[in-house]
Amino acid sequence: MKNNITELGIKLLLLFPVLFLFSCHSSDQQNAENHNSTDTITIQQMQFIPASLSVNKGDTIVWINKDMVDHTVKEEKSNGFYSDTIHVGKTWKMKATDSASYDCTIHPTMKGKIVIK
Amino acid sequence: MKIFKFLTKSAICFAVSTGFLSFSANAQKKAVNLTDPEIASIAVTANQIDIDYAKIAERKSKDANVINFAQTMAKDHQSVIDQAVALVTKLGVTPKDNATSKSLKAGEAKTIKLLDSKSGKAFDKAYIDNEVGYHKAVIKEVETALIPDAQNAELKSLLQNVLPVLKSHLSHAEMVQKEVNK
Repeated sequence: MKNNITELGIKLLLLFPVLFLFSCHSSDQQNAENHNSTDTITIQQMQFIPASLSVNKGDTIVWINKDMVDHTVKEEKSNGFYSDTIHVGKTWKMKATDSASYDCTIHPTMKGKIVIK
Repeated sequence: MKIFKFLTKSAICFAVSTGFLSFSANAQKKAVNLTDPEIASIAVTANQIDIDYAKIAERKSKDANVINFAQTMAKDHQSVIDQAVALVTKLGVTPKDNATSKSLKAGEAKTIKLLDSKSGKAFDKAYIDNEVGYHKAVIKEVETALIPDAQNAELKSLLQNVLPVLKSHLSHAEMVQKEVNK
């Protein structure tokens, strides 16, 4: 009987650090997720507003088209992100992974920037 | 002096032939304010004319920059027409023909004749030169006549929102013009 109690005690002692580490990891992950926020870029009057947006890596960026015409969002470097057509009144979103310059392929004078803090 | 006269005559001939003076009907009669039904008619006509030009360019041009620009003009001006028509329908405003819209249509007929007579690089140049001039003229008309004269607040707001679209088109046209003239 005494041996059984000792064995249970040892098992609990060994389990404790494992549970502690797991809870820390889980809490870190939750904090990271909580830090990721959503930022909005409004497309209006043929401009990306703001033209330059600073975000944290992993943040979600939403482009909302409040203009009179359709637009696109395309990273200037090849094989970068591309929204396809964002119709009037519609939105497009993506997770920010790197700093980037982008433009509207329909209206080449419209340009914007994403800067990772 | 002779050169000056020649250049002046050439500039006037070009402006008339390409319909840039189409807005002068109203500019010269600015003492008379436009009514909302007349503004609606001018707005729809001016947008439709640029769609008509774009369709010709899509059919005749082989230049990727010119075709891309023309496709943008066709889509954007159709979008503006759709929103203008939706608004005037909601407001119960019936577009009314007037001196400016009639002058615009007359200018369009001359420009289409000119564009039809050209091909290849000469067509691209004529089309994009006309787009630069046409957008400059439309911007001036919207700024100096249509917006100030619009009575309904929603119609005025729509015209104010159209301005940046027209200015962006002008910048785009000037970019393409530089490429075509290389």
